[in-house]
Amino acid sequence: MTVGEKVAAANRKVLDIMTKARLVWTDVKPAIEAVPGMERNLILIPGPPIEPEDLPVPLKTSVCGAAIHDGLAKSMEEAWEMVLKREIRIGSSQNYNCGNAASSVMSSSMPVFVVEDKTSGGTGYCVPHPGSNPRVLRWGIYGDDVEENLSFIRGDYAAVLGEAVRKSGGIDLIRILSRTAGMGDENHNRQPAASMALALELVPYLLDVDHPARDRVIKEVCANDRFFLHVMMAGVEAVMQSCKKVPYSTVMVGMGGNGIEFGIQIAGTGNRWYTTEAPKISGIFLKPTTTEADLLGYLGDSCVTEVWGLGGMSAIAGPSYLRMTGGTFRDAQERTEKARQVSLGEHTFAPVPWDDYRGFPVGVDVRKVVGMNVLPISHGGSALKTGGQAGAGAAELPMVCFREAVEGLVEEIKKLEGE
Amino acid sequence: MSDVSKILNLFRSELITVNVGPRSFAEVLEKQGYEAVQVDWKPAAGGDKHMQELLEYLGGWE
Amino acid sequence: MPIFTRIQKDRYIDSLETLNQTAVLNDQPGIESGYVGMATDVFKEVIEEIGLGSPEIQSCTEADYVIVAEAESQDAFDNAVNALISESASSDETEEKKYYSNIRSAVIEHPRANLCQISVPGEYALEEVKKALNAGLHCCVFSNNVPLDQEREMKELASEKGLLCMGPDCGVANINGAALVLSSINNRGPFGIVGASGTGIQHVAAILHEAGTGVSQTIGTGGNDLKEPVGGITMLMGIDALEADPETKYIILISRKPADSVLEKMLARIRTMKKPRVVFFMGCDKETIEETGAIWADNLDNCALRALELIGNDYSLGDLDELKETAKKAVKGMAPEQKYVRAAYTGGTYLDEGMRTMWEAAGGIWSNAPLSPEWKLKDGETGKGHTAIDYGEEEFTLGRPHPAIDASIRRPAILKEAADPETAVIVLDFILTPPGHMDPCGYVVPDIRKAQEIAAARGGKIAFVASVLGTTADWQDIRKQEEELREAGVYVCRTNYRAALLASEIIKLRKENA
Repeated sequence: MTVGEKVAAANRKVLDIMTKARLVWTDVKPAIEAVPGMERNLILIPGPPIEPEDLPVPLKTSVCGAAIHDGLAKSMEEAWEMVLKREIRIGSSQNYNCGNAASSVMSSSMPVFVVEDKTSGGTGYCVPHPGSNPRVLRWGIYGDDVEENLSFIRGDYAAVLGEAVRKSGGIDLIRILSRTAGMGDENHNRQPAASMALALELVPYLLDVDHPARDRVIKEVCANDRFFLHVMMAGVEAVMQSCKKVPYSTVMVGMGGNGIEFGIQIAGTGNRWYTTEAPKISGIFLKPTTTEADLLGYLGDSCVTEVWGLGGMSAIAGPSYLRMTGGTFRDAQERTEKARQVSLGEHTFAPVPWDDYRGFPVGVDVRKVVGMNVLPISHGGSALKTGGQAGAGAAELPMVCFREAVEGLVEEIKKLEGE
Repeated sequence: MSDVSKILNLFRSELITVNVGPRSFAEVLEKQGYEAVQVDWKPAAGGDKHMQELLEYLGGWE
Repeated sequence: MPIFTRIQKDRYIDSLETLNQTAVLNDQPGIESGYVGMATDVFKEVIEEIGLGSPEIQSCTEADYVIVAEAESQDAFDNAVNALISESASSDETEEKKYYSNIRSAVIEHPRANLCQISVPGEYALEEVKKALNAGLHCCVFSNNVPLDQEREMKELASEKGLLCMGPDCGVANINGAALVLSSINNRGPFGIVGASGTGIQHVAAILHEAGTGVSQTIGTGGNDLKEPVGGITMLMGIDALEADPETKYIILISRKPADSVLEKMLARIRTMKKPRVVFFMGCDKETIEETGAIWADNLDNCALRALELIGNDYSLGDLDELKETAKKAVKGMAPEQKYVRAAYTGGTYLDEGMRTMWEAAGGIWSNAPLSPEWKLKDGETGKGHTAIDYGEEEFTLGRPHPAIDASIRRPAILKEAADPETAVIVLDFILTPPGHMDPCGYVVPDIRKAQEIAAARGGKIAFVASVLGTTADWQDIRKQEEELREAGVYVCRTNYRAALLASEIIKLRKENA
């Protein structure tokens, strides 16, 4: 077989994994028990690897907050000292089959959603979405109120939710996406329909849980229209774990930003990152006084959903998101069309009625991106440099990452070929 | 003699042209009353020869 | 700045909409900062925080829609609110033309597409042609500078698939009545043409049009088809197709003299053709052609006229005596030192034809593409004795479109040649085509007038001699174009060949005069 044929075969395999995934949410467990490679003094952060000295303010806050939350330090100052001395290590989530949205971080005692891909056997993890309160670790904010919420999530919330999920025998995410096809979610920045459908499946089992905090947990879950995002992120990571085992493949399997750098991963080189300066999200601001100068670069791993065809890739499925961020229906069509141009296939489980019942594109081939010079567009929330959410919008993924990925894969293949 | 059935088919069919090049070439066909479909061609990898070679090594992208 | 508020009670606007409206509001002139939303607790908190709060808004409920802004004036605020409302009402622009990024996706959505017109840079042509052929499309390839082995590769693939590959370097083809690339718009009729010279095809087809008949199909092969490595693949397929096409009653073949081995192959095929055919292979002798049963032509004009004879049409382009009379008029008033011809062509075929025609009278012509190498001009050199320049050559067109499209490429020629007091006659050609300049003749008229002023100031006069290639169906209208030139005092000839004959007569008279 020529290299080209091997690449084509590998890509077919990856596309197969991506399109045939059967994602089932099976459990909620502490990260230290669930996540392979997790350690007591390890805190997973979004985006590509970064030295602690370079962390932007919101992530620094989240890391130190998590250290306190996990009992690794007593104060923010102490926590930061330990981070600088590498007594507390930081790691790149996606290298552990985890995703951390926005400024979320994952410490060892935090509960994680466990989602398994029953087809390929991969497993992925993500901490729960903390709800609609703007003061959350997820946006780089820490304080007594935030700690209180984190403790609730680690305690009663995880206990109740975990029991319900286990009682259910597993909740099929593909079924939820199918049921909510045509309901306007693009499933990265907007997922009210999927969150409701998920609640619909979960609530009967929650009602069966015998726990004093049960009703509060039900309220929290049902009131959070972004709940589904973090479950989905764990699901995508489950798929990508399997994809990363396929050498020769040019398909993108990871991406994320840490506010300073943005990076992508491709199947053929597994956990190797291809990075560049993080682009800024352009769109709308929550407050009219915010300016572009206040924005941090792309922050968070929630865009792993995009890697699997959601968000900007399926913009046409959720055109309202474009309306909100200053675009039109046509822009949504074009965004998905762009993604189609650089993708290897389409999902079949969630056809979009106003897009001729087509599925959304999946499997971005870095060769197509570089060759056609067409950049996919990712949706995303934007963070303030000082912490907190700035707004929402979209960003073109940086070409330099894709070019580096091509270089990196050729290097890797030449090794495999003994050239 | 070559098999010219496909060419005769072209002569007998409505001409529908895919134009790979300047848009004006497609526009003047439409103005003459013929359907034209525009492909906005760009050089591979933005014209970067090194990338073109690497992509070639990886089997191209189409 | 004062703060203005607009409240609509019990009007629900989703946050999706209000976030967008906030952005629009803040873009309006005279607005310092503004916010739009339903008066929820969160909204109230935010506007307090950014200093836009008021008791009025605090008293609103979640069901109330609020627009609030710090603005220069009430007018500015009102205008901004109106802009906001009209923005919300506006929908997407109607049906927009769709563009594709590659041939495959275009064909998927237009499965009835049957031809691909390709004008990418030559180094990318093979790749695109392969894609088009693999998608089942016939090709018309305008791209030039394609290596011959690549030309062969694309044509072999086309041949395997039974698809037509016109070009590379195919400037003219009329398929089903459509003028492709740089063709003229032609009437349809019984003549099918296969030609290796775009100008040649266009020339013959234009005369057929002028004579009241027309073409069934014209197939451009590209200038290299009849060279050794390519072997005439397209011309042979073209002949086969036109032989089988019921609309084609007569066939015209046009080329420079093919390479010897290719010529043999061509003659063998021409010999077995069943339809009446006229063959103009420039430089091929009469016997060689007539031996195949074809009608021989020795130039493009003659090629068209011989074809017209086949349908009993005795159309005439005029005789030499007319031109001699015109020449006598043209030299009147020239200054003694005026003796040279300066020709500025937009393409190689007419340059060649012009130089061959004028050679004898001139006794040698300098050129950037000369008939023999010792007459080659140095790079950038013009105006040296008798000169003919092809402004379609790469030195002028690199990175620019063809001079038929971008008339400015040749524009400097007129005043440059006119500046030389020894210039007696300036020869120009003009080509009409849909993507071309909409008034190529009118475009040069000011320069022609200025040139005459310059010559007059020296006590002389320049003879401008021109021909226009095109038809009455072309959007530029050949009649109108010719008229513009005549009004400027240009001697307009029916064809390029005749323009060169006239120029020859003029320089002969100037020689006699000296």
